[in-house]
Amino acid sequence: MLYELAQSLTSGLLIGGALAVLSVGFSMAWGITHVLNVAHCAFAVLAAYLGYWALNRWGIDPLLALPIMLPAFFLLGVAMHTLLIRATARRAHDLGLATMVLTFGLGVVMENGMLLAWTPDPRVLKTAYSALTLRVGPVIVQAPHLIAFGLAVITIGALYLFAERTFMGKAVRAVWQQPMGAALSGIDLDRVTTIAYGMAVATAAVGGVAMSLLYTFDPATHLSWLVYVFLVVILGGVGSMLGSALAGLIIGLIIGISSVFIPLAWNNLVLSGLLIVLLLLRPQGLLQR
Amino acid sequence: MRRGALRSFGLPAPDALIGIGVVLALAAVPLAGPGTYLLGFLFTIFMYGALAGSWNIIGGYAGYLSFGHAAFFGLGAYTTALLLFYSGWSPFLTLPIAGALAALFAALVGYPCLRLRGPYFSLVTLILGLAMYSLTLNLPFTQGASGLFLPFLRVDIYTSHVIFYEIMLGLLTIVTAVLRQITRTKMGVGLTAIREDEDAAGTLGVNATRLKLQAFMLSAFLTGLVGGVYSYYKSYLDPSFVFATSISITIALMALFGGRLAWYGPLVGAVVLSIVNEMLTTQAPPQTARIVFGALLIIVIMFLPDGLISIIQRRLPAFVLRRAKQAAARDEIIGNR
Amino acid sequence: MTHHTSRRQMLWAMLGAWIVALTVGACSQAPAAPAPTTAPAAPTTAPAAPTTAPAAPTTAPAAPQGASIKIGCSLPLTGAFADTGVWVQRGYEQWAEDVNAAGGLLGRPVELTIYDDESKTENAVNLLNRVISVDQADLLCGGYPGTAAAAQMAVAEKNQKVYVSMGGHMASFSQGFTYVFGAPPLMGQWWYEGLYGWLASLPEAERPKKAAIFTINNPVGAAILEPMPEELSALNIEIVVNERYDVPLTDAAPLVTKAKGAEADIFFANGFFPDSVQIVKAMRALDYNPRLIAQGVGSIIPAWVQELGADGYYVFSGTAVHPSLPFEGISRLNDVASTKYNAPVAPIYFIFGYAWMQALQRGVEGAQTLDQTAIRDWLKANQISTVAGTFTFDERGLPPSYNYLTQVIDGKVELIWPPDVRTKDPIYPKPAWGQ
Repeated sequence: MLYELAQSLTSGLLIGGALAVLSVGFSMAWGITHVLNVAHCAFAVLAAYLGYWALNRWGIDPLLALPIMLPAFFLLGVAMHTLLIRATARRAHDLGLATMVLTFGLGVVMENGMLLAWTPDPRVLKTAYSALTLRVGPVIVQAPHLIAFGLAVITIGALYLFAERTFMGKAVRAVWQQPMGAALSGIDLDRVTTIAYGMAVATAAVGGVAMSLLYTFDPATHLSWLVYVFLVVILGGVGSMLGSALAGLIIGLIIGISSVFIPLAWNNLVLSGLLIVLLLLRPQGLLQR
Repeated sequence: MRRGALRSFGLPAPDALIGIGVVLALAAVPLAGPGTYLLGFLFTIFMYGALAGSWNIIGGYAGYLSFGHAAFFGLGAYTTALLLFYSGWSPFLTLPIAGALAALFAALVGYPCLRLRGPYFSLVTLILGLAMYSLTLNLPFTQGASGLFLPFLRVDIYTSHVIFYEIMLGLLTIVTAVLRQITRTKMGVGLTAIREDEDAAGTLGVNATRLKLQAFMLSAFLTGLVGGVYSYYKSYLDPSFVFATSISITIALMALFGGRLAWYGPLVGAVVLSIVNEMLTTQAPPQTARIVFGALLIIVIMFLPDGLISIIQRRLPAFVLRRAKQAAARDEIIGNR
Repeated sequence: MTHHTSRRQMLWAMLGAWIVALTVGACSQAPAAPAPTTAPAAPTTAPAAPTTAPAAPTTAPAAPQGASIKIGCSLPLTGAFADTGVWVQRGYEQWAEDVNAAGGLLGRPVELTIYDDESKTENAVNLLNRVISVDQADLLCGGYPGTAAAAQMAVAEKNQKVYVSMGGHMASFSQGFTYVFGAPPLMGQWWYEGLYGWLASLPEAERPKKAAIFTINNPVGAAILEPMPEELSALNIEIVVNERYDVPLTDAAPLVTKAKGAEADIFFANGFFPDSVQIVKAMRALDYNPRLIAQGVGSIIPAWVQELGADGYYVFSGTAVHPSLPFEGISRLNDVASTKYNAPVAPIYFIFGYAWMQALQRGVEGAQTLDQTAIRDWLKANQISTVAGTFTFDERGLPPSYNYLTQVIDGKVELIWPPDVRTKDPIYPKPAWGQ
């Protein structure tokens, strides 16, 4: 029992990291730019495909392809914000609701575009380190899990430092906390939100690559990933980067613990129940006052 | 409130007259002998219209965006289905039970959950939908993942289509009438106040907690009714469909696409999206059809973020708008007393 | 005001452009259909011109004449089940091409209309209604997956139309439906019949002793699981772990540690492709190597070998059709799959699709009419042959129970049991990971 628990907790925790990095951009976009980007995971799946092709066509590991993908996805996010979202924001009463429909449409377009480009066949990423493992006592740590977790730590850490230490980051935070005040103090709201949005989409690329290390994917996978994102964001609090990190880990831990002590079939029910309770206790997410 | 309702029935506004005419015309459609496909397709449109309308009471009027209405839909569907399966009771008779159970469930979960604001409410309802799916899958008496096969209605296929068509039309009419009526009563005013500024609404004497709960229960009740009819119509149901998150998202999408601020918005959204989707499915290659559908959502929302009806509203003849506004204003004043 | 007008004009312009684009797209897709007035220009409305068919199987048959026979259905061509749905569609289309090249059905050309149900049961039901009452199809083709098929069976039965599909589980054949056929079926309850047979042939000392069973929480999973306790106890195999899981499977490690902790030496992963891939990867990572791994409905699709590679080797599974079976037409399907679709052999669902249409064809040719009741009665009274074998049907529309045992060996899905169809000797017990 102890071995099972230790093993499940370890792998649950590492998976939680992947869920956190998949979700952090969604949370940012919602919190800072008020865009409910339902297509977030479609971007992640796109990144998973690009990583897959980089490996299978040119032998470039997805992790090495990431530095090229990041600016590309950032620009994609900037373009999306400039072309689609600002135009909508000018006319919308409630940007969150309008963008939900808008990005749902975008998700449909992207999913079926990928279907045309890469067929519906499911894909499995096989990297040089796919089968590597690390032994810590009796517990075995899978290298892809560890790498996905590392990606999460680096990405969320970098975002956090950016928000705390740089001028642009402080501006982003100001826009999140006090949009009016931020505007009055001379912050260019459009510019800041666009940049924040670009960063959010760029993190989707990291999340997609992290997830593709752990899971199979096909164009329709983005919808099931989106459910994870919703769970993480609600628990962590909308807009909170550290909240997302913490929530991802907690969800991973809950899955790890519950699958040892209760029948697997009831896991999702336990997870849902616990999340509802946590949410009622902390109605604004874990880390918010 | 009651006087306002009476007044508007005594002196029907033009929109109500048009509505009654349309309903009567639609009710007569089966007389013209359309194929079962058309009846089935219209049934689906009515169903989504009724679902989007029910959703709109809490999601549109009150601004509490539920992502978990499949929980109520599935609860209604499984209630009538299980009563038919085990006791042989006709779903047409047990329909009120389906609605009542959904409303009861809404009361139980609504009381704590409606304290949550904005996105947090949306997401807790999403989890509720997932939890109901998981529960149904694992309860001993639901037949779990294998699903439930129900006996057919004992009439020929065309008659059965007509019966379901008329019943769903009836439900849609009820939902739409309720939706319209709410806008003319104190409840509608209260819900609008909650949507615009909940804290301010409290200071104006609106009992927000009670009103939200009422709206949530009413919304769940109507959704449960629709689910109760649907399971019998389909005669096979399994948890993965009736509790699907995609149902919750689809009906919210239809309401938002049509326009959530007017009573006919969700209906417009359901009708337009259903028809466009059907046309694309039958006329274009599969992936292209979906891409065009997605692009259409993007384009329409970019230009009409408040929904399709903002274009209709601009095009209505001036006198219709004026009379509707007068009627609404009059009812609001009476209702507020 | 001008602002409003310009916005509206722009909207209309875009809508107009969209409609034009759609029309052009639809028209360019539409082949020269013989009856454009009734046939929607759907993607797959393809009465293939007889001249384009590769290697017509018989010698210069008379070209089909008269009005075409319309056959319609829906398949998941987009969405979650598209990977399988597309192969079923290709099977249907190949059959139509071959039939038209060989003189048609009852001397008339056949014309397929396959709609995309977006992997939604709801749409599958509506579209089948459309096929029946708007398109007035003469014959129906089957849907996918099990839930859609179950819902469509009810529609077909109500409309008294013959419906041939995989079914997926026994429940849908136990409803007293008379017009439905599994020809051949993908029957969950029968899935491991070949495995049980082969295990029974082993000396008892060589059989595994303890089974860990993990089953996907869906209709096919439940069906596969149903007979297992009885069958395994007949083989003196004790079930030490028996659990169901929901998909998406977030973490496979707990499953594997449970089985490992219970020292199970036969592991059943009764799931689909994504979850089973995760389980097998976790088994390797956690260095759990039971004597035998059996997998549900995921290891027989091409992606198992192409995507998972050597980690997926030596996994046992079941199937009702196979590209190496000695039935007429199979080798040609393998050729078609490799030339047309660049697949090493004909994928299972390609063969399934082709076989279902052949079963329908036999019924029509046997009854010599398109009358649905006559076709049904003929099929239930006669033996038919397809690329998947010869079948007779009971009153439920099912053949006598059967299923083959397969094992993935060196990148190929080999047939192991029954012995008369064996293509390779099984590798048992399973070699260590990475060998």
